Amino acid sequence: MARYGMVIDLDRCTGCRGCMVSCKIENNTPQGSYWMYVFRFEEGEYPATKVRFMPRPCQHCDNAPCVKVCPVGARYKREDGLVATDWQRCIGCRYCEVACPYGVNTFNWGHPEEHYYFDWNAEDVAPEVRGTIPAWDNPSLDEPYGPEQRHIAGGGHLKGVVDKCTFCVQRVEEGLDPACVQNCPVRALIFGDLDDPESEPAKILERRPSFRLLEEAGTEPRVHYVGGAPPTSETRQIEPAKAEV
Amino acid sequence: MRVTRRTFLKGTGATGAALAARRLLRGPETLRAAEIPQAYVEDFVPTACWIGKQDCGILARRINGRVVSLYGNPSNPRNLGTLCPKGVAQIAALYDPHRVKTPLVRTNEKGVPGTWRQATWDEALELAAEQIRTTLEKDPSLVVWQKGRSKSKYVYDEALTEALGCTKIGHGAFCSDAGYRALEYTMGPKGVLNPDLRHSKLILAWGWNAVAAGGNQLCWITWPRQLIEAKENGAKLITIDPRIRGTAHFSDRWLPIRPGTDLALALALCHVLVKNDTIDREYLRTYTNAPYLVGPDGYFVRRGDDPLVWDERAGKAVPAGTPGVVPALEGSFEVDGVTAKPAFQVFVEHVERYTPAWAAEITGISEGEIQLLGTEIGEAASIGSTIVVDGVELPYRPVGVMAYHAMQQELGFQATRAMILMLMLIGAMGAVGGTLGTTKWEIDDNYFALDAIEIGDGPYDPLLKSSRFFPINSGNPAIAATAILDPETYDVAKGYEVMILHMSNAAVSYPDTQAIRAAYRRLRFVVAIGPWLSETADLFADVVLPAATLEKYEGPGSASDGYLDAVMVRTPPMPPLYQSRGETDIYLQLTERIGVYEAFIEHLNEQLGLTGPHALDPSRRYTEREVFDHWAKQQGLEEGIAYFEENGVWVKDPLPPSVRYGYATDPPFGGVIHRFYGESLLRYQEQMREKGAPETFWRDYTPLPTWRPLTMDSSPPQYDLYLISYKLIEHKQDRTSFIPLLSELSGGQRLDINPATAAAKGISHGQMVWVESHNAVTGETRRVKVLANLTHAVRPDVVAMPHHFGLFSNPNSKDLGPSANALLFTGPGYVGMTADASFHVKVRVEPA
Repeated sequence: MARYGMVIDLDRCTGCRGCMVSCKIENNTPQGSYWMYVFRFEEGEYPATKVRFMPRPCQHCDNAPCVKVCPVGARYKREDGLVATDWQRCIGCRYCEVACPYGVNTFNWGHPEEHYYFDWNAEDVAPEVRGTIPAWDNPSLDEPYGPEQRHIAGGGHLKGVVDKCTFCVQRVEEGLDPACVQNCPVRALIFGDLDDPESEPAKILERRPSFRLLEEAGTEPRVHYVGGAPPTSETRQIEPAKAEV
Repeated sequence: MRVTRRTFLKGTGATGAALAARRLLRGPETLRAAEIPQAYVEDFVPTACWIGKQDCGILARRINGRVVSLYGNPSNPRNLGTLCPKGVAQIAALYDPHRVKTPLVRTNEKGVPGTWRQATWDEALELAAEQIRTTLEKDPSLVVWQKGRSKSKYVYDEALTEALGCTKIGHGAFCSDAGYRALEYTMGPKGVLNPDLRHSKLILAWGWNAVAAGGNQLCWITWPRQLIEAKENGAKLITIDPRIRGTAHFSDRWLPIRPGTDLALALALCHVLVKNDTIDREYLRTYTNAPYLVGPDGYFVRRGDDPLVWDERAGKAVPAGTPGVVPALEGSFEVDGVTAKPAFQVFVEHVERYTPAWAAEITGISEGEIQLLGTEIGEAASIGSTIVVDGVELPYRPVGVMAYHAMQQELGFQATRAMILMLMLIGAMGAVGGTLGTTKWEIDDNYFALDAIEIGDGPYDPLLKSSRFFPINSGNPAIAATAILDPETYDVAKGYEVMILHMSNAAVSYPDTQAIRAAYRRLRFVVAIGPWLSETADLFADVVLPAATLEKYEGPGSASDGYLDAVMVRTPPMPPLYQSRGETDIYLQLTERIGVYEAFIEHLNEQLGLTGPHALDPSRRYTEREVFDHWAKQQGLEEGIAYFEENGVWVKDPLPPSVRYGYATDPPFGGVIHRFYGESLLRYQEQMREKGAPETFWRDYTPLPTWRPLTMDSSPPQYDLYLISYKLIEHKQDRTSFIPLLSELSGGQRLDINPATAAAKGISHGQMVWVESHNAVTGETRRVKVLANLTHAVRPDVVAMPHHFGLFSNPNSKDLGPSANALLFTGPGYVGMTADASFHVKVRVEPA
């Protein structure tokens, strides 16, 4: 069986954040919720200024701390490498959010329909979008996935549950790349079966030096970075996306 | 088109029951669409991005005909199946509840935000047509059609305005037109400098934020991809820019230049190339007027109409172009009783004073850096070398300059001229790996027209075309506003009465916003056409017609990535939402009511090249789909527009070297002589002086680019910082600022300021500050309040603000901060010699 992972080429990323938007549209995530986040970093002092970028999806760890702490088995590791969240089973305890060293979990504090950008129930709008919220609602997210047939795709389904990057399980099971990977204009994101030495990401990892985030935490991430280095204490985040809702 | 039928089983068995129970317990907080049936049809249909300039191909994913996602069309050479953040987010624009949903008629006074009543299309079109018709009957030039970025040039910019006979105003004077004019005048192609990225080895990103700002004819996606590939192929990238941001990651060196001093740097680089003798004499002799003999009066020495060159072999002056002549580039000769020098010799003497040490003082870039860069350019050019491309051996000069939007500065036209001259010295213009103008090396009519301007005595039209003020003229609406407000100074007899405002937000997007608003108040009638209520429409429109976004037919447009030829037409993935219509449909209906439908159809035939069975019949009524169907069939596509409805893009063949490279066209460079020496600029200067134009207008009309101090530098010393403006990757002008998915990412307006400067002024990160600008000519000041953003990516004497903000009509964009344009000026000192806007001004910044 394929065991998926992602390679992120920091030599290529221009920090455009197109992946962040692709993810939001594909997965119906509410305002301020970014399953894929692209850090923009500045280092050094003028004129020796360095600027670089680092996309950060869920790391889909092989030794995932979030899975271990989930009291109800809503967060689980799939055989194909994906770390999934069953949004029907999640009780919203947020232990996963605390356990994850990468900060990739988001909690639905409010009724998601109030946070989907725009008032889709407005009188003159509702007929045009046929009651669909948001207007770009992706019906694939409602379907069950995997041999377990659990509801693990998409975000913002329910108030009081946690969600995070799914590697677009609804696309991967159809043989497609995750939305962020499919859309990256400069092919900085590469997705595939890391166990298959002929896959594009495996070949890149074979050829180029790579690192994983917080390797020392022992989480065994399935997201590998090439062409750069992790941020240091000298790294300053610039242009953060507005996250408050 | 890929169509799949999938079975959608919602919440079967136990999980369904669990979900239902949860709903009962916790209320209706689930969001799944109530109306999606149990089985649905999914398909993918082509359309094209409506936001940016390059019309990226899109495949819209539809569920039962409702668009749910926009993906890049893999067949489109420009975007290869991907989209930028704006392209993806425009699905929110498509469904935006704040779109104009019906035609609107103003019910309050103009000059303040409007109150509106909904109208029928019939009523609104009739209202607009009546005003346009009666004014056209009086004087067609009183009707002005203003576009922001129109997408369908042949239909709107050409056929429509020709059918109306009206004035048209574009956005180029705020974009890159100074650069366009310089290249058209000097070499002929319609474009601004851009590198042949596939072959360039030394790339200068000159005022070009390579990874966020797009550029020459292509948008953001294509250039960065090609740039990254060039870097991976070993090219060196040097960024010349007061602010660096994203390009820093890809740059081998950053030369933080002082704003507005690009001309000085280019002249100093010319100096270094001359001193190092890295000169492509073969090119200069063969294709340029550099050998033409210049007399003491600055004009070419002629016999009859023929300019003369000095034949080195015969030792005498002969007409330029005489076969077998080896013309001298250097020296001084006695010809027909005068002392004459080849233009190149005049140039060598001209740049003698422009040493790296001199330029270092002005530009803020060290003498050593300038010397090094000039030497690198000369060496990288590998003068004399050739390369075989697609079986054709061509000169190889792998020095590529991207200088697209750098030209909107006080000396923009001459700064571009100086860059072109620099590249001409090494023979890199039109060479493989060198610097190109557009996708195809074609000679624009402006090559001839800009050399043969007849300066009139006035009165002038408000744009001051062919005037003693701006003989070469990019058509700046802020200058038109200035002239309308001060007709005596500018010798203008009449303004405009009726405006058709097409996808333009002049009252916010263009400096000087105050002058533009004051002039637009005088318009008797404005009909605005657009999907949103722009601020300009909100303040000044009498009637607003709702246009569709990407759900319409529009085109044709290029889909070439610069190397592969391709054509696109935008096709609707769903019918126009609300009551909106495509602009072509709107114009077909509007021209009919005005009474110029037949003329519009005839001009469409001419502009779209429709002939024989494919010509449109002026006595028939057409829809926009039918218009583009005729066009597609004229191209030999039997299925007509259905080809684009199916494929989105028509990919043709790779562009051969004979189309791309100036050296490879037949004859080379389209057979025109390159104006190394701008003799007609001197002629214009003399005529402007004779006709009484003040010095500020004629002083930069010099045959060789000549440095002078910038107007803004005469502001008082307390205005100690330069303000520049820039683009964010998340936004395109103000066309996306109300898309909340993008506003979240962009974070709103901010003032980039160097931490050292901020510390000296007691400003900390995230603090509100006042920015006050000063007009060195009029003494006027303007100020806005904005958040300080401390960054090491900007010169200490520069502060920078992005565009895209200062909006108030859409609830989703109204509180994002002020517009940079609110601080900028127009008029003398703040426009260039070609009427192009300068986006530079001196400011002071203090804690608010």
